Amino acid sequence: MEKQLSLPRLRAEMTSGVLCAWLKEEGEPVAAGEPLYEIETDKVVNQIEAPEPGVLKKQLREEGDELTPGAPVAILETE
Amino acid sequence: MITIYSHSTDPYYNLAFEEYIFTALREEDVFLLWRNRPCVVVGSYQNICREVRFPALRQRGVPVLRRISGGGTVYHDPGNVNYSLITRQESGGADYGPGLSLILEALGAAGVPARRDRTSDLVIGTEKISGNAQRVAGGRLLHHGTLLFDADLEALEELSVRGKGGHIRSRGTPSVVRAVTNIRPHLAEDMTIEAFQERLLDYMVPDAACRLEPTAEHAAAAARLAEEKYHSWEWTWGKTPAFTCHRSGILGGEPVTISYQARKGVLSAPRIDSPLIDGGRAAALLDGARLDPAELEDVCRILAGEHAAALWEMLL
Repeated sequence: MEKQLSLPRLRAEMTSGVLCAWLKEEGEPVAAGEPLYEIETDKVVNQIEAPEPGVLKKQLREEGDELTPGAPVAILETE
Repeated sequence: MITIYSHSTDPYYNLAFEEYIFTALREEDVFLLWRNRPCVVVGSYQNICREVRFPALRQRGVPVLRRISGGGTVYHDPGNVNYSLITRQESGGADYGPGLSLILEALGAAGVPARRDRTSDLVIGTEKISGNAQRVAGGRLLHHGTLLFDADLEALEELSVRGKGGHIRSRGTPSVVRAVTNIRPHLAEDMTIEAFQERLLDYMVPDAACRLEPTAEHAAAAARLAEEKYHSWEWTWGKTPAFTCHRSGILGGEPVTISYQARKGVLSAPRIDSPLIDGGRAAALLDGARLDPAELEDVCRILAGEHAAALWEMLL
């Protein structure tokens, strides 16, 4: 099943964040809790972990892209 | 809250030590104090070429490192005290408030009249004494910052990005340049940097039983991480966001234009137009070259002979 992952709101006043690193390539398997990507906002680098196991099917955004909370970031293929 | 002493002033070791404590000691709240010999440290997602002045660094023999938190470029030397506050972080919403309040209380107890300014700076009057940044990963929060106690502000000024040209078009976090001051001249009662650290520790970790020496395992793990990550080109340079460089100037009295792209720290589409340089050879030597000061220095020597240093400065 395909599941779309969106950027969580990391703090109440957060308006946007910059996708600063992909930690998994497309096609790579990920375990639940494994790091997927990093978002920088207000000098905080937030490592975002996979909510459940699966395969990273698609990176929807590129490194350097500015995203708002709720923006689609990745497609995870789950069981 | 516990503390673990780092007796090292090696910046590679200390950044690795902090990361190791952050990722491996998952059950403890930890406060660290550490000092480095002179170095420049860029944020996790910064363009190293845009933020750092390499000629000044080389002249002073100062290395550049990359850290794991966000934010801008900072200068460390033995007159600067770094602190780290490592705590549990249940949900995503990290904030500077709790960490900065705590360190402000500790500074107050040491007689330092500081206050918070903007999101993550501490100031005395209007001048900055502390820059702070964070990393959130695996349910843990790393909050750390600099405390300029008795630092060489002239070196800081010279190595800061102020005045660096706009020839680099890049994504990545820009640094914010602010007027800075040292803490020491603002103290009602003078003290050494060692006494200052002791005062902070007395506030943060009053219980002597919670002040620990690093175990052999801590030290070995930090040394390994320092070698594999913080000394590596891949981390320090390869993490630079993709960018294009386009600049023109004078080389050996003749006009020169230089352009290239860089992705993951590797050059492509290089072009040098100068009557003094063989453009075809330049393109061949620079295509696929790594953004690496020593490697580019060799290429510049081949291409530009006596003008190698000037060409190198333009490339970086």
